[in-house]
Amino acid sequence: MHGMTTYFIRRLLLIPVTFIAITFMVYTVLRVVPGGPIEQAQLQIKLAMMQEGGATVLGGAESEVQIPEAAMNELKKYYHLDKSIPEGYARWLWGIVRLDFGRSYVYGEPVLDVIISKFPISIYFGLIGYFASWLICVPLGVSKAIRHKTGYDTATSVIVFIGYSIPGFVACLMLLVVFGGGSFFDFIPLGGFRSANWAELGFFAKILDQLHHTIVPVIGYLIGGFATMTILMKNSLLDNLGADYVRTAFAKGLSEKRVIFLHAMRNSLIPLTVGIGQALGLLFAGSFLIEKTCNIPGMGLLGYTSIIQRDYPIILGVLVFMVLIRLTGNIISDVVWALIDPRIRFGK
Amino acid sequence: MSAEKKKLLEVKGLRTCFHIEDKTARAVDGVDFHVYENEVVGLVGESGCGKSVTALSILRLIPDPPGRITGGEIIFRGKDLLKLPYPEMRKIRGKDISMIFQEPMTSLNPVFSVGWQLKEAIRFHQRLTEKQVEDRAVEMLGLVGIPSPKARLKDYPHQFSGGMRQRVMIAMALSSDPALLIADEPTTALDVTIQAQILELMLEVKKKTHDAAILLITHDLAVVAETCQRVAVMYGGKIQEVAEVKPLFDEPLHPYTRGLLLSLPGFKNEDKNRLPVIEGMVPDIMSFPKGCKFNNRCPEVMPVCREEEPELREVSPGRQVRCHKCQKK
Repeated sequence: MHGMTTYFIRRLLLIPVTFIAITFMVYTVLRVVPGGPIEQAQLQIKLAMMQEGGATVLGGAESEVQIPEAAMNELKKYYHLDKSIPEGYARWLWGIVRLDFGRSYVYGEPVLDVIISKFPISIYFGLIGYFASWLICVPLGVSKAIRHKTGYDTATSVIVFIGYSIPGFVACLMLLVVFGGGSFFDFIPLGGFRSANWAELGFFAKILDQLHHTIVPVIGYLIGGFATMTILMKNSLLDNLGADYVRTAFAKGLSEKRVIFLHAMRNSLIPLTVGIGQALGLLFAGSFLIEKTCNIPGMGLLGYTSIIQRDYPIILGVLVFMVLIRLTGNIISDVVWALIDPRIRFGK
Repeated sequence: MSAEKKKLLEVKGLRTCFHIEDKTARAVDGVDFHVYENEVVGLVGESGCGKSVTALSILRLIPDPPGRITGGEIIFRGKDLLKLPYPEMRKIRGKDISMIFQEPMTSLNPVFSVGWQLKEAIRFHQRLTEKQVEDRAVEMLGLVGIPSPKARLKDYPHQFSGGMRQRVMIAMALSSDPALLIADEPTTALDVTIQAQILELMLEVKKKTHDAAILLITHDLAVVAETCQRVAVMYGGKIQEVAEVKPLFDEPLHPYTRGLLLSLPGFKNEDKNRLPVIEGMVPDIMSFPKGCKFNNRCPEVMPVCREEEPELREVSPGRQVRCHKCQKK
């Protein structure tokens, strides 16, 4: 156990290092790449002047539109762009430590408020999607392994293959078209996180309404990892069922159930736990495409629009959340792995 | 053979096939032999001769598909194991007949502690309190020579060496006092220095516990000479010769047995610099010759050997040979 404690302390100490490396890189890129708030402001002023000045400006070269030096400096100062990159980054980082993420250029609100308004939505779909994928893929993979090369295995392989071929957002689109009440059936809402009149509903109606809105996006999230996870589970269990220790377990007189679900299963889960960190990171980040199709105001959509609008504080804020989730996800994955596999727990 | 010896296990005409694609490989093709109570019998042959499949068939551990036992009887204490319902068979595995395998490195489950696996075996076959199970586990580990057994129960297989893991396997196999222990090449994967230790240990623990009979499967005649009382030599999925150890080594009757013995270093060889070999290779399992299975490699082959397969015939009490030459005696 001692080895494991030091191992996790080392892993925890690596978090700030990784965090700083990633955010510093992104900060630098954002500062260097053109199209930032100053340029945007210049463009807007230019457009405004063009409208006012009419033909006179139209005739002249575009570069002739100048913003006074003093105004420029004011602007830079307002956006904290007057500092050098290292100093600016240090200030930003100090802000993060004090939970001050700055203000959104676009919304004018504190970044943290904007993110916190979207984050639970992403967590909601992310967690449900993730647990649903375990609940579906593990039993499916196990049953396919046990019935390897039977009709059941082939039939479910077709489903897995279809799932593998369809991107999640396309599946959402298809479901919305068929069941969203447009042309064919009217079973599910056309998107959104909740109904508009959610606040007026009773307790159970609220739950029902929420679930109603959850189905399509969760299917979208599920399809992304569905095939990979199912086949990983199947192959992993199949490998283990052929292992020598399984033969030993049978030779001891154990029942087939015990051999499969205790002896082989615990070993087979190891490859699945390795992916926990990555899966959590991906799910919480939200898929922009699924959020767009299902009209869910989550982190994916927020991240995407902030990039389009060059809303640096939001981009960096979203990044902070993503990096932290991914890093803690990796640690959770390591803990689970160590719980299942003693070889990890005690070091080689 | 003295009449008072009781047959513990009798294998009669055992056939085990493997269906691979649309071909059928007859890995075990009519095997007959028996094991008396408390004795150590060697089942010897080259790789691919069907000895491991025979061993696995006795416990019905052949993976199906692709394998299947297609015929014969395995009489254990008067009951045909092949006709037992599956739950009954499970009660015999690990209790009346135990098995240890060739690969100690992979034969234990890597994610459960050694004690957990040992106790699982004990608990499954004996009605004991948790305290008694623990005591039995400690006792068995001590018996197989693992130092500080109580503390090592908590350790995992990867914390043991190959030899130590095989000791754990032996402890597990003998924990419920089986009447028969099948050891499938138990020392093949181990260092030469450890091999002798493990064999000695098996015999020693056998004596200290309920004196189980041992069916020792090996390709190593030196191992047989050291440990067994009787030997069955297998080739091409069939028993070719059965004898007590001393007569077999003194006067091998089957040309194949003779070839095996002559290829042993230091065994009656005139030329000290060169070991004789059996000509040719074991044929592919699908392409054994017609007649005697050994006729394409036999130095003493006769025309009849290519036409007709000889019967396994008793030539003297306790001695059986499957060879046309011996049949003429």
